[in-house]
Amino acid sequence: MSTTLNADNYVVFTLADTLYAIPSNDVERMEMVEHVTPVPNSLPFVDGIVFSRGRVVPAINLRRRFGFTAIEYNIQSRLIIVANENRIVGLIVDSAREFVSIATEAVQPAPDVVNGTSGRYLRGVANVNNRVFLILDIAGILDASVV
Amino acid sequence: MRLPRLRTPFQASDGLRSSEDMDDYVAECDEHLSAARQCLLDLEDLQHHAVSRETLDSLFRAFHSMKGLSGMVGARAAEQSAHNLESYLSAVRKDPSLLSDAGISFLIDGMAILEAKINNFIRDEPESGVDVLAERLSSLLPDQSADNTKESDLPLAEDDPQKDGIPPEKLEQLQAAVSRSEQIWRFTFRPSTDLAARGINVGTVRSRLQTLGSLVLAQPMTTVGGLEFHFYVTTKADAAIVDMSLEGVAAEPFVLQPQTNISQKTSDSSLRLSPGNLVRVDLSRLDELVRSLGELVVSRARMQDILTQVATHLPGKERRALDETVQTFERQLRELREGVMRVRMVPVRDLFARMRMVVRDVTRELGKDAELIIAGEDTEVDKLVVERMADPILHLVRNSLSHGLESPVERSHLGKSAKGKVTLRAATTGGMLVLDVEDDGRGIDAEQVFDRARKLGLISPNGSVDPTSILDLICTPGFSTREEVDRTSGRGVGMDVVRLAVEDLGGSLTLDAQPGLGTKFTLRVPLSLVIADVVTISVADQIYALPKTAVREVIPFEFNAPIVLENNELIRHHHGVLPLLRLSDVFRLPRATGNCVALIIGEGAATFALAADRAVGLREVVVRAITDPLVEITGIAGATELGDGRPILILDPIGLMRLARRLGMTRTVTLGAS
Repeated sequence: MSTTLNADNYVVFTLADTLYAIPSNDVERMEMVEHVTPVPNSLPFVDGIVFSRGRVVPAINLRRRFGFTAIEYNIQSRLIIVANENRIVGLIVDSAREFVSIATEAVQPAPDVVNGTSGRYLRGVANVNNRVFLILDIAGILDASVV
Repeated sequence: MRLPRLRTPFQASDGLRSSEDMDDYVAECDEHLSAARQCLLDLEDLQHHAVSRETLDSLFRAFHSMKGLSGMVGARAAEQSAHNLESYLSAVRKDPSLLSDAGISFLIDGMAILEAKINNFIRDEPESGVDVLAERLSSLLPDQSADNTKESDLPLAEDDPQKDGIPPEKLEQLQAAVSRSEQIWRFTFRPSTDLAARGINVGTVRSRLQTLGSLVLAQPMTTVGGLEFHFYVTTKADAAIVDMSLEGVAAEPFVLQPQTNISQKTSDSSLRLSPGNLVRVDLSRLDELVRSLGELVVSRARMQDILTQVATHLPGKERRALDETVQTFERQLRELREGVMRVRMVPVRDLFARMRMVVRDVTRELGKDAELIIAGEDTEVDKLVVERMADPILHLVRNSLSHGLESPVERSHLGKSAKGKVTLRAATTGGMLVLDVEDDGRGIDAEQVFDRARKLGLISPNGSVDPTSILDLICTPGFSTREEVDRTSGRGVGMDVVRLAVEDLGGSLTLDAQPGLGTKFTLRVPLSLVIADVVTISVADQIYALPKTAVREVIPFEFNAPIVLENNELIRHHHGVLPLLRLSDVFRLPRATGNCVALIIGEGAATFALAADRAVGLREVVVRAITDPLVEITGIAGATELGDGRPILILDPIGLMRLARRLGMTRTVTLGAS
C-alpha cells in the first residue's frame, strides 16, 4: 500500500523505439496530429502551431529536438499537450498509448551513459518490470536557449 | 451604475418591417423585458414578505410599455399577452391582498409567453402555442370588473391629449425640462411616398429635429388613414423654430398639464438615474470605431518605423523630442483602445438573472428543490462574450439540476439538506473571465464514465486510464446519447457543444468533480474579443491572412515583370515604381512562377509591394494571440482559423519589411541565378 502512495502517474510515449515518460500532471491532453501550420523563421524543431482548446500552441517535433531523423506523421503519431509554468506546448511523438504508475523509489538519476541526444532533458531513469523508461524534464525541452 | 445597453438578443427580420421602428421595438422590448425579469425575481424572493409598491409599479410599467409598443408595431399576440399581465397587476395594485403564489407564477409564466410572442413577431414566425393567459387570469380574478381593464388600456392619442401614450419616464423627462423653463414642442410627421421621393423620411426628420434641441421621444402612432410620428423636442425657451411644413412636419407647442400622481411619485420615490444619461449604441458602430482604431495603430507603427530610419539624420534634441511624442502617442492609443473596449463591456447580471428563471422552471419540472447562489454578477465582459456564453452556461446549469443534484429524498437519505445548491460565480483574472457552475450533488462516477468509454471503444478495454481524462471523455461527441448513462454517470448531454463554444472564443473548460460531494465546471474565456477583417492570400500552398487595414490595393503582376535594380526588385505601380518583397523569400518557401499578385502596403515613401502567389479572399475573423516565445516571430501578428480548425497565420507586413531589411533581403536574387 505504501508503495502505491509514493507513486506518480506518467504518460508513456515512444520516440525512435525508446520509451519515455512524462508526469501526467504536466499533460493536458493527447491528440492525433493534424493541422500543424508551419511558422516561417521559427526554430528548426518547431513544426508549427496548432489550436488546442482555442489557444495557439507551438508544436515541438521531439525527434528533431533530440536530434533524431524526423519522420512523416502517421496514424500512430500523437500530439501531447503539456502545460508547464504558464506555457502550453505540444510535443509530437511517434506514439503514445499508455499510462504507468512509477514508484518514487524506482526513479534513479540518469546515468552518465545516457549522454546521448536527450540526455540533457532527462530527469531520471526508471526500471519497471524490466522496462526502462526515460523520464523527461519538460522545462528543459521548452527552453529555447538550449538547442 | 447602469451601463449603456447594447442591442441584440433579438434579430430583426429582414422583411418589410425591418425599419428603424422595428429596431426601436426590439431594443425597447429588450429593456422592458430585462426590467420585468428583475422585478419578477424580486417579487419571487419576497413572496412571503411585504412586496414593495415600487416593484409592482415598475412591473406594471414594463408590461404597459410593451403592450403599447407591441400595439404600435402590430404585434397583436404580444399586445394581448402584455394586456393580460397588466390587468392582473392593475388589480393587485388596487388590492395587494390579491397577490398570491399562483399569481406570481402566472406573472412568471406570462412573462415567458410574452417574450416568446415578441420573438415570434420579430422573427416573423408563426404563433407558437395557445395563449392560456386569459383563462388563468379569469381564474385569478374571478370577479374582475370592467374598470380594471379600462384603466390600464393603452391610451389612444385622440381621447387623451395629456398622456398621449407618453411613457411615464418620458413624462418625467419632459417635466424636468419644463422645470428648467424649457419649451416643449410636438412635431407631427406623416410619411408619404411623395416625401420619400424627395428624400424625406423619419430618419431625416429625426436628425433634423435633433439639431433643434433635445429629442425626448419619437413615437409612431397609428391614426385613421395611416401612420404618423410624434416627436417631442425640448428647446431653450427663446429658441426659434424653423418652419418645416415643406417637409411634411407640423410643429406645435406642447403643454404639459400638471400631473399630481407623477410629481408625487418623483418626489417620494428615490430618484432613478435619468434615462437621458443612457445612450443606446449599435454594436456595429462600435466595431467601426475599433476598426479605425486599428488603422491608427498601423499608422503609428509606420511612423515609428520611419523615425527609426531617419533617426541618425536628426539632431539629438529633436530626435528625443520626437521619440517622446511617439511614445506618448502609443500610450494614448492604448488608453483609447481600452476606453472603446470598456463601452462594449456589460455585467453578467442579466445572464445570471436568466438562469434563476431556468432553475425555477427546471426544478419544478423535475420535482427537485434547488437554490441558485450567484456571485460576481457585476463582473463586466464584452457583450459578444456574454452572448456566446449564454448557451454553455444554460447547458451546465440544466445538467447540474437534472444530473448533478439528487432527488430531495435521496439527499435527505445521504444526510444532505433536501434543497440542493447550484452556484454560479463570475470573476476576472488576467484578462480572462472565469465562470464557475458548481453543484453539491452526486459528482461524477469515474468508473461509470470509463465503462461507458470502453463500450464506445474510446479507451482500450484493459489498459489503465488517466483519471484526468474524464472531461475529455464526457466531451466526446455522442458520449452519452443513451438514457442509462444520462441517469447514472450524469453528464455528457451536449458537453461537446459546451466545450466547443468555449474553445471557439479561445477559452478552456475544466472539471472538478468529487464523488458524492458535487461537480464544478470552470469556463475561462477572454474578457473581450478582437475581430478583424483580413485579406487571405496563398504562398506555396499555405494560406496567410493580412489585416485589411494594412493592404491598400491588390494588383496582379507577371512573375518576370519586376525590374531588377542593384539589390532591389521593383515593380511598376501607377506612374512610379515600388520595392517588391516576395513572401516566398522572407519565408524561405519555393517561388511561384507565372501570374502572381502584389499587395500594396503602406503610404508615402514607405510604400512597398508584397508579392504572394494568389489572393484568396476577404474574411472577418477572430484574432488569437500568439504568446509562446517559440513562435513569437517578427512579421507574424497572430493566428486565426477560417472555420476548418486549421490555424492560419496573420501577418504583420510592416514587421515583415523590417525583418527583410534586417536579413539584408531587399537585395534580390537575380532571376535564374543561384
